[in-house]
Amino acid sequence: MARALRFRFSRDERLKYLAHLDVLRLFERALKRSGLPVSYTQGFNPRQKIVFGLPMALGLTSSAEYADIEFDEDITPETFISRLNQALPDGIEVLDAVPLLKKGSIMSQITSAKYEVSFDVPQIMDPDEINGIVISFMDNEDITVMKKGKSGSKPVNIRPLIYSLSARKADGDGYVLDAFVSAGAENNLRPDLLMKALSQKTGLDLSVGSIHRRAMYASTFNEWKDPFEVAND
Amino acid sequence: MMRVKLDDTLLLQVEKPAKYIGNEWNMVKKDPESVEVRFAFAFPDDYEIGMSHLGMKILYHILNRREDTYCERVFAPWVDMERLMREKGLPLYTLETYTPISEFDIIGFTLQYEMSYTNILNMLDLGGVPVLAKDRNRSHPFVCAGGPCAVNPEPLADFIDFFVIGEGEEVIHEIIDAYKDWKGSGQDRNAFLELVAGIEGVYVPSMYEIVYYDDGTIMDIMPKSGKVPDTVRKRIVTDLDSADFPDDIIVPYIGTVHDRIMLELFRGCIRGCRFCQAGFIYRPVRERSPEKLNELARSSVEKTGYDEISLVSLSTSDYSALPEFCDNLLEFSEKERVNLSLPSLRVDNFSLGLMERASKVRKSGLTFAPEAGTQRLRDVINKGITDEDLKSSVQLAVAGGWNSVKLYFMIGLPTETMQDVEGIADLGFSLIESCRGIADKHGGRGLNITLSTSNFVPKPFTPFQWEPMDSIEVLREKQYHLKDLIRKRTRRIRYQYHDPEISHMEAVLSRGDRRLGRVIHTAWKLGARFDGWDEHFSFERWQQAFEENGLNSSFYANRRRDFSEVLPWDHIDTGVNKGFLVRECQKAYEGDLTRNCANGCSNCGASVYQAGICFRKDKNNSQGG
Repeated sequence: MARALRFRFSRDERLKYLAHLDVLRLFERALKRSGLPVSYTQGFNPRQKIVFGLPMALGLTSSAEYADIEFDEDITPETFISRLNQALPDGIEVLDAVPLLKKGSIMSQITSAKYEVSFDVPQIMDPDEINGIVISFMDNEDITVMKKGKSGSKPVNIRPLIYSLSARKADGDGYVLDAFVSAGAENNLRPDLLMKALSQKTGLDLSVGSIHRRAMYASTFNEWKDPFEVAND
Repeated sequence: MMRVKLDDTLLLQVEKPAKYIGNEWNMVKKDPESVEVRFAFAFPDDYEIGMSHLGMKILYHILNRREDTYCERVFAPWVDMERLMREKGLPLYTLETYTPISEFDIIGFTLQYEMSYTNILNMLDLGGVPVLAKDRNRSHPFVCAGGPCAVNPEPLADFIDFFVIGEGEEVIHEIIDAYKDWKGSGQDRNAFLELVAGIEGVYVPSMYEIVYYDDGTIMDIMPKSGKVPDTVRKRIVTDLDSADFPDDIIVPYIGTVHDRIMLELFRGCIRGCRFCQAGFIYRPVRERSPEKLNELARSSVEKTGYDEISLVSLSTSDYSALPEFCDNLLEFSEKERVNLSLPSLRVDNFSLGLMERASKVRKSGLTFAPEAGTQRLRDVINKGITDEDLKSSVQLAVAGGWNSVKLYFMIGLPTETMQDVEGIADLGFSLIESCRGIADKHGGRGLNITLSTSNFVPKPFTPFQWEPMDSIEVLREKQYHLKDLIRKRTRRIRYQYHDPEISHMEAVLSRGDRRLGRVIHTAWKLGARFDGWDEHFSFERWQQAFEENGLNSSFYANRRRDFSEVLPWDHIDTGVNKGFLVRECQKAYEGDLTRNCANGCSNCGASVYQAGICFRKDKNNSQGG
């Protein structure tokens, strides 16, 4: 029983065409339908007290999204999960929740994420050869690309934002890039930008397919931790 | 059964792909194999517009309550999506099951706006359905259409198998029942059309012959056989409380134009403004009870999770039980953190207090619709509002903390002179003047005004249906004159106006005859679609379409008709007599006002429906009862 929870949810193919704001609105309405006693902010335009770990880009599927939510009454993770899932459309599902005893912001805790990016190249290549190219890409000390920001594009070295990269054969056609990169409010590396850089620097003619987020982490003292583990840090 | 396969190569290439995937909350899921009738409800515009439309929500709900019918939705794909669909050879499909619309039993279009007509052709074509009704055979769906623009169905007669005139809640059941009878009978396509032609409110254009004079006006409209009526009378729902109204409406994923619960207070309008088509074709006024509305508000919030309710009607202030109803509703909405939006409210002490309570958001803007700049012209159009009313309303609003006001006008109204046009600017100046000091006293900033003019388009079934519309040049001249006048005087007034070329085409299509089918067809083949959107409208394209078909758009838009002329929609009966409309038109020229329905009956003819306000006994009605 707790007044606040941290929860993990997934989004599959069916709802990946929603933009981040659509997902926020979807949760807002689902929570209202669920009848759960969600807390609201004070003031002129009261909002539900719910904060998401990372924004979800249009096109992204995920098995590891996180959010913090507050209630006016004590509530068990089980009650929360079952009632919210009943009010959520097919394609987004709450998987897990833990009590949140201390108010912390999930948004500021998240610092990295793991992605699986499916891609293909024009001619058939040995997966090991592609992996070799990816590893030599990682040998660069400087990978500068143009990053679009609020005030136009500017050059950014994204190499320090990449923690690990490797390529393998996909289950079906094509290949998969496993990427572990910096994420969050401070130094977010979007997987589409990473793929653009990879294509530019290596000359690989990549066509990018689906992008899946399979984990996100909080870091404490240079240790990557599951967001549930740090829920009460 | 075929289902269209959607994937990333399509959906990640278009804007707002969530418009094309369906699966929203409250979408109805049925097994298409388990129903007898598959109905595609088609909205000939973008998803964001179509999903804001109350009529679709009502009919979707009513049809899907039938176990034997599955009603699905289809919208006009935006141009980026259409291009990719054509490239990939994908047919237009419904959002519920991704079934091509060609596989449906009936496709029903709603006609909300004349400028969406080319989208109908485009949607049929993209769906693999022959665009012309005469080219369809037993393997094709029936294509029907209803909604406000259907009161003059003639311009679309070549494309639509049958029209439904008036409100659809009851007649749609009769049509589905007839379809089931016909489907089992093994008879030909025409047999079904004969069957529905016998249903009151259904018009089958192919069963009427139009005869023209040499000058292009109509000599006669004749039924081709004794099986169809001489005139087709509009259908209405007599009692709104017993009419089915949805509380489990679909909740879109993306923001739409009206993304909220809509509570329909009443249909029709007591006012009788002479330019307003809705004010005549939805007669008589019928209210929903406050009890029913409160019940609907509560269950809708529960089933949708929406946090906003909008009260819907042509004139909210005229709802007879407004204060009690709002008290009750506000009690609920405040507790549930639901915002109330109150459009088309007359501004007075009561309504300002209400707005303050209803919406916790910033006091941004208030809108008023004086429609004309001078008292003389407001009397011509029977808009019972005076300069003094307006001044005191705006002063109240400014004192209450509102500092921006938007005023809606029309230019090109019958009898309008340049003096009336200048009156629009003068009204703006005098409002600014009269509010000087008020804002200071209440610690607010000064008043900012937006004046917006639309171009008057004469519409069928109004007292102005015989009037010529101003030419494009004259409308431009009036717009520029007004713009100039305002710019020279003050920076506190912003002026907005509409493209006269689009208005001209709207006028042509709204009062057009059957021969316009060829023009619409040509314009579509030349690339016309989304004509209501400035960025897609091309006047040159329409001009070319007129030229190619040897017709003249001014004949339809800018010509004064004689009262005795046979109008293309004379075989449609909305309950309001032509004689009444003639009288109203003559009174307009004299500047004589006509009392509103709440103050007494003016014998428009709508009492034939024996419903609503015509039967309220507590008023001093000379008619009805």
